[in-house]
Amino acid sequence: MKGKAEIHEFVRELLTASGDDGPLADHDSLLLSGRLQSIDAVEIVVFLEENFGIDFAQIGFDRDQIDSIDAIYALVQSAATGN
Amino acid sequence: MQDNQAQAVVEKILHMHPGVREAAAVHDGHDGFVAFVVPDELLMDGISVRGTAGSTLLGKWQKTFDLSQLSKEAASAPVGFNTIGWNSSYTRQPIPAEEIKEWVENTVEDILLLSPTSVYEIGCGTGMLLMRIAPHCDRYVAVDFSPVVLSRLREQLRTVPSIAERVETMERRADNFDGLGENAFDTVVINSVAQYFPSVTYLTKVLENAIHIVRPGGHVYVGDVRNLPLLRAFAASIELFQSEDEIKAGELRDRIRRRVEREQELVLSPAYFLSLRQQIPKLSRVDIRPLRGRADNEMSRYRYEAILHVGQDAEASCEDEFLDWTERSYSLKEIRSILGENPNKRIGIKRIQNARIEKDLAALAVLRDADAELTVGGLRHGFEETSSKGIHPQDILDLEFQGLGFSVVLSWAACSPDGNYDACFVPAVLQQGVAMPAINWPEPEASEFVCTANAPGQGRLRKELIDHLAAHCSQNLPLEMVPRNFMLVDKLALTPGGEVDSRALLAARNASCWP
Repeated sequence: MKGKAEIHEFVRELLTASGDDGPLADHDSLLLSGRLQSIDAVEIVVFLEENFGIDFAQIGFDRDQIDSIDAIYALVQSAATGN
Repeated sequence: MQDNQAQAVVEKILHMHPGVREAAAVHDGHDGFVAFVVPDELLMDGISVRGTAGSTLLGKWQKTFDLSQLSKEAASAPVGFNTIGWNSSYTRQPIPAEEIKEWVENTVEDILLLSPTSVYEIGCGTGMLLMRIAPHCDRYVAVDFSPVVLSRLREQLRTVPSIAERVETMERRADNFDGLGENAFDTVVINSVAQYFPSVTYLTKVLENAIHIVRPGGHVYVGDVRNLPLLRAFAASIELFQSEDEIKAGELRDRIRRRVEREQELVLSPAYFLSLRQQIPKLSRVDIRPLRGRADNEMSRYRYEAILHVGQDAEASCEDEFLDWTERSYSLKEIRSILGENPNKRIGIKRIQNARIEKDLAALAVLRDADAELTVGGLRHGFEETSSKGIHPQDILDLEFQGLGFSVVLSWAACSPDGNYDACFVPAVLQQGVAMPAINWPEPEASEFVCTANAPGQGRLRKELIDHLAAHCSQNLPLEMVPRNFMLVDKLALTPGGEVDSRALLAARNASCWP
C-alpha cells in the first residue's frame, strides 16, 4: 500500500503549484489555514479516490478529514482497515 | 524608420504568433513599445488548467459543490437555507447565518422587482432563492451541474409540495440549453454562479443563450458578481487582515500579487456586461448595482448585480445630469435638502465615496508606495486611524424610506477603480409604476473596456504565452523594436473613428501595474 511519503509528496506538489514553497510538517493545517484553497481539496479527494479507493459519497466529507498529512493518512488507514 | 512604420512591423510580427488573435503595439513615449495582445481564446480555453487529476476547472468546481453537500451539517440544514460552504475569505470561518439571510432576502427582493412568472435558474444549488421565488411564479426550472446538490434540493422539495408542484429540476451544465425554445421564460437567474464558470468565453455563451430564451420585456439577472476593478483592493484587504504585525510591506505586496494571480474564480468588470450591448442585439439595457445591505462582508463590499433587460425597453431620459460628489462631498443632510428643494425632478449624484470600502482603498494606496521594510503593524496603525469620509450605500438607499417622495437607485456601471458609486433619485410622481426606470448612468472610461475579466486557472499559461511572445519578438525584430512589456487584454480599445486608442490602452496598463 502507498503510504505517508506519497501523500506528503502529493501535498508538496499542490503547495508548490500554488506558489507556496514554505516548510511542510505532517501536522500542518492545509485548508483551514488557507495554504490550499477549497478547489485544491478536490485534487486531494481525487487522489485519495484513485489511489486508495476511498469513496467519499459513502463516508461523507468534511474539510477536517483532509486538513493535514496526518489527517489524510489516518483516513487512508481507517479505509484500509474498514473502520 | 518612422514610429508608425516600426509599429506596423511589430504588430505584423506579433500577429504571426499562433497564440495571438489581435495585437497592437503602442510606444509609451519613454522606454519603447508596449505590446497589447488579445490571446486566441480557443487555444487558451482549450488547454486544461493545472491539475494532477487532469480535470478541468469546471469539473473541479462541480466536485467541490458535490463534496460540500456530503457533510453532516448539510444533511441537517433547514429547507431553503443551506449555507454550507459559505466561508469568509478573511476568517476562513462560515459567514454568520444572519448575514447570509440578509444577502438572500435582498437578492430575492431584487429579483421579485422584475415580476418573474416563469423562471430558469442556472446553478440553483440547494434552493435558497428557489424556495422564496417559486411561490410567486407559475413555472420554475432549476438546473445545477452537481448531482449531489440536486439530490439534496429534491429531498427538500418533497417536504414542500406547494412549491414542488411548479418546479422542475434538471442536472446539466450552465451552457446546456438543449430543448429550450426562444422566448420560453421571462426571467433567467444566475446568482453567485458566474464566478465558477471557467472563462469569460463560457460566460458569454451562457448569456447569449439565456437572452435567447427570455422573451422581450424579460430579464437576465446575474447576481453576486465579483468586481474586477476592485480585485486588488479585495486581495489587499484579506492579506492585511491575515498578516501578522511583523510582516514587511514588501512581503505583503508580494502576497497580494500572488493572491490576484492565483485567483481561481472568474472576476468580472461591470464593463463586461455593458459591452454585451454591442454584441447581442436583443439586449436593450444593462443595470449594474452594488449589493444592498448593512452586513459588512465580502459580498456587500465587493460584489454587484448585473440586470440585463431583454428587448422592448423604455428609452432613458436624456435629462439625467449628475452632481459630482467629489466636488462638494455632500452629506446625507445636504442630499436630503437638495431632494426637498426639487420634489419633482430626477436628481443624480455621481462618484459618491463608498464608506464600505474606503479604508481598504486607502490602505491599498498607502501600501503601494510604502517602503518595503516598513512593518504591517506600523502601517496598520495608520490605516485604522483613517476617518470615514464617504457615505455607506445603504444610507443612500434608506433615503427612499424617509418620506421624501423619491425612489433611489444605485449604480456601479462607471467601473470606478476607487469603488465610488452613483445614485439617482426618482420622484414617485415621475416613476409611474415603473419598478426599474431607465437612467443614463455615467459610463466607464474607454480604458475600462480593455481588461474586463480575469482568466482563472490560466496564470501559468498566460505567463508562458508572454514569455513565448517576448522570445518570438526578440528573434524576429531588431532590439530597439522589441516591446519592453507585453499585456494580455480582452479587447483592443478603439477610438470612435476605429483607430487603436493608444491612450486608453496605456491607461489600462498603468492601472494594472503593481509594485
